Amino acid sequence: MNTDIITDETQRERLKVLTGKKLLTQILICSGVLILVIFICVSIGTQKISISKVLDGPGAGAGDNIDYEIFIFRLRRVITAALVGAALAAAGVILQGLLRNPLADPYILGISSGAALGTIIAVISGLTITIWAGSPMALFAFVGAILTILLVWYIGRFAGKSQVTSLLLAGVVVNAFLSAVIMFLISIAKSEQLRTTVFWLMGNISEKSWSVIAIASIFIGGGITALFGISYRLNALTLGDSEAKNLGVDTTTIRTVAFGFSAFITAVAVSLSGLIGFVGLIVPHGVRLVFGPDHRQLLPLSALIGGIFLIIADTIARTIFGAEQLPVGVITAIVGGPFFLILLARYSRKVGWLK
Amino acid sequence: MKDIIKVQNLTFSYGKRAVLKELSFDVKQGCFLSIAGPNGAGKTTLLNLLSGLLKAETGFVEIDSKSVQNYSARKLARKIAFVRQEFIPVFDYTVAEMVSMARMPYSRSLGFESEADKKLITEALTMTDTIQFACRPLESLSGGERQRVFIARAFAQDTPILLLDEPTSFLDYKHQVGIYDLLKKMQNERQKTILTVTHDINLAAQYADIGLLMAADNSYVYGPTMEVFSRKQIEKFFDAKILTADIGQSKFFMPLGKLAKDAGLIKNQQ
Repeated sequence: MNTDIITDETQRERLKVLTGKKLLTQILICSGVLILVIFICVSIGTQKISISKVLDGPGAGAGDNIDYEIFIFRLRRVITAALVGAALAAAGVILQGLLRNPLADPYILGISSGAALGTIIAVISGLTITIWAGSPMALFAFVGAILTILLVWYIGRFAGKSQVTSLLLAGVVVNAFLSAVIMFLISIAKSEQLRTTVFWLMGNISEKSWSVIAIASIFIGGGITALFGISYRLNALTLGDSEAKNLGVDTTTIRTVAFGFSAFITAVAVSLSGLIGFVGLIVPHGVRLVFGPDHRQLLPLSALIGGIFLIIADTIARTIFGAEQLPVGVITAIVGGPFFLILLARYSRKVGWLK
Repeated sequence: MKDIIKVQNLTFSYGKRAVLKELSFDVKQGCFLSIAGPNGAGKTTLLNLLSGLLKAETGFVEIDSKSVQNYSARKLARKIAFVRQEFIPVFDYTVAEMVSMARMPYSRSLGFESEADKKLITEALTMTDTIQFACRPLESLSGGERQRVFIARAFAQDTPILLLDEPTSFLDYKHQVGIYDLLKKMQNERQKTILTVTHDINLAAQYADIGLLMAADNSYVYGPTMEVFSRKQIEKFFDAKILTADIGQSKFFMPLGKLAKDAGLIKNQQ
C-alpha cells in the first residue's frame, strides 16, 4: 500500500478534525465581533450622540446627560436584538439537525401559530395585566408557543414509526388547525386590535427593561448551553435513528433535550419580539456552508452570528427612514428572502431528498 | 473460544407476518458468519435484533452472556459496530468527520478526539484505503468509496463484533474482494467476530467459516459453510436452478436461467 510512506506527521495533518482549541478560538473571535457590532450599532441612530459625553457617565439627575441616556436606551434594544437573534439561530440549527432537513426553521413545528394565537387572544380579550415583558401579549405568546409545542410533541410521539416524519406531520396539522382559529378571531376583531396584532406578527424589536433582559439572558443562555452539551451526539442523530443508536447514542434523551430546549428558547425569543422570520433559517445555513456541519461548531457560531445579524438588521430598521421605524421582520425577510433562494438553488443540486 | 453471540428461540413479526420463528444459533468469538437467503427472509431484521434496534417477541439475543436489551446504547456500541448499505448523509460531513464518529461510544461531553482516538481513526482510514479522501465530503465519493468509509468507521469503533448488511453490493470486483480480504484479516489478526448478510453466495462460501441460510417460510439451516452452502440447500432455499462447480477448496454457484436449462446444461451437472 502506498500509505506506508506517509509519515505520522502528515497523517495527522490529513486527519482534520475539530479540536477544542480551534473551537474556542472561533468562539472568541465571533464574540469579539459581536461586542464590536454592539458598540458600533449603539452609536448609530437618528439622534447623534458623542462618545466622550457617554463616557462621562450618568449626570446627577435625569436629563442631565441626554447622550448617556440615549446610549443606555439603545443598548437595551441592541442587547434584546442580540438575545433574540442568538436564540432563533440556535433553535434553527437544532431543528434542522433534529429533522434532518436543512430547510427547517424554529417555527416549522407550529410554534409561530401557537404564539400568534396567544397574542391575538390577549389583544382581543383586552387584558391589561403586566408581567414578563411588560404586556400580556408577551406572556400569552409564550404560553401559546409552549402549549403548541407540547401538543405537537405529544401527537408526534403518538403518531407513528418515524419520529422525524410524524413530528413534521403533527406540526403541519397543528399549524393548519391553529391558523384556522386565528383566521376566525381576526375576522371578528376590531380594526384597532387588528393593527396591533399584525405589527406583532411582523416581528419587532423594542427596548426591554434590564430585569427582562436579565431573565431572558438566563433562559436563552442556559438553553443554548444545554443544547451545546448535546451538540456532539446530535451529529450522529443527523445520520438517522438507527445509525445514531449503533454509535452508542441514547436517541430518545438527545431528541427530547434538543426538542425541549430549542422550543423553549424560541418561545422566549417570540415573546420578546414577535415573529421574526429568516434568522433561524439563513444563519445556520450560512454558518454550515462556511464551517461545515459539525454541531459543536455550528451551534455556538450560529448563535453569535445570529445575534450579530439581528443587531445589524434592527439598526437598519430603526434608522433607514429616519424617525419612522420599520418592523425588523421586514428587513430580515428582504435580506433573507433572496439569500434563501440562492441557498435553495445551491442545495437542490446536492441534497438527496430534494431530488 | 467462548460463544460471543447466543441466539435462542428468536421470534419476530411485523404485524401478522412472521419474519423469524424459533431461530437459535451460537457464534464463537473470532468466527466469520455469512447469512444468506431470498428477499424477505428476515436477514436484515436479524441484524437489527442482534444490534438491539428491534426487540424480540420471544426468545433472546445475548452478547457476552448478557441480553442485548440489558445493555445501554453506549455499552452495546462498544461491542457491536454496524455497517449498513452506503448512503449520503443530509449534511455533508467529511470522511474524517464521519469516521471520527466511531469514537462516540467512548467519549463524554463534546468528544474531542484524543491522540489514541486519532491513531485508531488514521489506522482505520489507512486499512480501508480511504485516507487519501480524508478531507473530502462524503457526497463527492463514489458509492464504493463511501462503503469503504463506513467500513473504516466500523473498524475505528474498535468492537469485537462487526455486523455488515450487504457490504459489497455496490462494489466492483476489485473492491468486493478487497473488502472481504480486509474482513478476513480483521478476523484472523484481531479475533473479530464478523457477520455479513449477502446475496453473493460465492464470496460468502469463499470467506465464511459458518453459514446461515434463511427462507421466507421461517425455516433455516445453520452450520459449517461447506454443508450449508451446498447445491441442494441453495436450490431449496432460493427456489432456483443452480449450477455448481468445485474449484480447489471452494464451491461456486451460478443461477441458471431458462435458456441455460433449455440448452441442457443441467444434465451435465449430475
